[in-house]
Amino acid sequence: MGAVTDDEVIRKRLLIDGDGAGDDRRINVLLKSFTKWCSSPGPPEEGFTQRMLGTLAQCEFSMGKTMMVYNMNLREMENYEDIYRNIEQNITSAHEKIADCKKEIQRAKRIRKNRQEYDALAKIIQQHPDRHETLQQLEALDKELQQLSNIKDRVDAKLELRKKQFHVLLSTIQELQQTLDNDEKADDDNNQGSPAENGD
Amino acid sequence: MSVFSQSFSPCGRFLAAGNNYGEIALFSLSAALSPDATALSQKPILTFTAHEGPVFSLVSTDCQLLSAGNGEVSAWSWSELIKKNVKALWTKKPKYRSSLEIPEINSMKLQSRDNSLVIGAGDNNVHILDLEHGVFKSVLQGHSDYIHCVSVREREAEILSGGEDGAVRIWDSRTGQSVHCIEVYKYETCARPQYGKWISCLTTDSDWMLCGGGPSLSLWHLRSLSPTSVFPLSGCQRYSVFHQDMILAVGEGPFVSHCLLGGDVKAQIPCSLQSVNTLQLNSNSTEHQVLTVGGSSKHIDVFTNLSYRAFSLSF
Repeated sequence: MGAVTDDEVIRKRLLIDGDGAGDDRRINVLLKSFTKWCSSPGPPEEGFTQRMLGTLAQCEFSMGKTMMVYNMNLREMENYEDIYRNIEQNITSAHEKIADCKKEIQRAKRIRKNRQEYDALAKIIQQHPDRHETLQQLEALDKELQQLSNIKDRVDAKLELRKKQFHVLLSTIQELQQTLDNDEKADDDNNQGSPAENGD
Repeated sequence: MSVFSQSFSPCGRFLAAGNNYGEIALFSLSAALSPDATALSQKPILTFTAHEGPVFSLVSTDCQLLSAGNGEVSAWSWSELIKKNVKALWTKKPKYRSSLEIPEINSMKLQSRDNSLVIGAGDNNVHILDLEHGVFKSVLQGHSDYIHCVSVREREAEILSGGEDGAVRIWDSRTGQSVHCIEVYKYETCARPQYGKWISCLTTDSDWMLCGGGPSLSLWHLRSLSPTSVFPLSGCQRYSVFHQDMILAVGEGPFVSHCLLGGDVKAQIPCSLQSVNTLQLNSNSTEHQVLTVGGSSKHIDVFTNLSYRAFSLSF
């Protein structure tokens, strides 16, 4: 236990002494002169009191300075804490922004891919002829087809009529030929019959 | 050594890469990306031989790593692999018609709608494996040469496959019928007869499809089945992916190309590999969002920012 507190004491004294080499010495000198002043017989020297008061003032001044430095350090610490918090907030918001931007990039890439696909398809579609034109061509062809079939029907009808008329003509001729043949045969029979009668 | 395939773990902290010796190496991304990473953290934490042939394709489900090599598919548990316990959960082989030669599996994709795995194999067919029951559900036949790549359109439940015969076939995954067949090399804008007609990279974004290989890398609108943009990249592209509003493509040439949907090549970021086979973006973890590329070297380049190569992992 004693060793520990000794270490502490030594550490503390080193710390204090490290601050200003004159301070500790000044306090010791003041203490020594005070004890000398107390224990000296007879009237004290004038300058002695003044010197002691001066040393005391110096010590008080030094202490005041240290107190101010301490306060300044505290305030600096607060300042740094503020800046630190600020920077942390900025970092988190930057992280969020990065995540958002990454999502945006993914979306943009998808959109770009879709656009490229449309372009590729559009290129092919352009190569095929216009639908309007094709429809018009189809209509014109239809009309032509209709006209041609009409003509075909008409020609067919004419052909049928002529065929029928020829048929009628030929059958009439045939019948006339038949009748003439029949008449000739009838005449021949009559002629053969009458010479036989005349010969009697 | 060539790295042919990569896959990130479901937690996003590990990368599995498969090479042409049939080995799979597991890298710890959290160690490699941490501020105190050393050269040791760029080496794999685990390397094991998974197959006898090259591992052409790696796919991660939410708890398993599926690897394809030597004509078979093996499943490994991610949690076991992270604990360095190498034991395959199962190994299955699709029913190939000829049992003499074993066709390799070039590409696998997960179809999460019905928890099945779409496998593009060298026997010109697409096999679909049901992961819940462990049986091969169906076989999609139609290609006349081996299949390089498959892709899945989740919304319309369709499977796309591209192969050596130059055709991209669109299959309905429910009926197994081929809905469309696009022969890319027949379109003048995309065709590059000096490279051939094979399709080596295929990826889809619902309405749009990217395909490339022999013909130039081109963006297709699937509804109208017409090519909308052709990208002026030299060399054949082996892997491409849609990322946000850009297209990332890798292939012959020591760079990763960034392209816009309109057909312009925005940037070509150099990497240390002479020719790149695979590219993967880590979307499983928010803090390790990296792009990794592997190709014709034992290094795997890691890009922490898409604009430059940060460092390389080494097999």
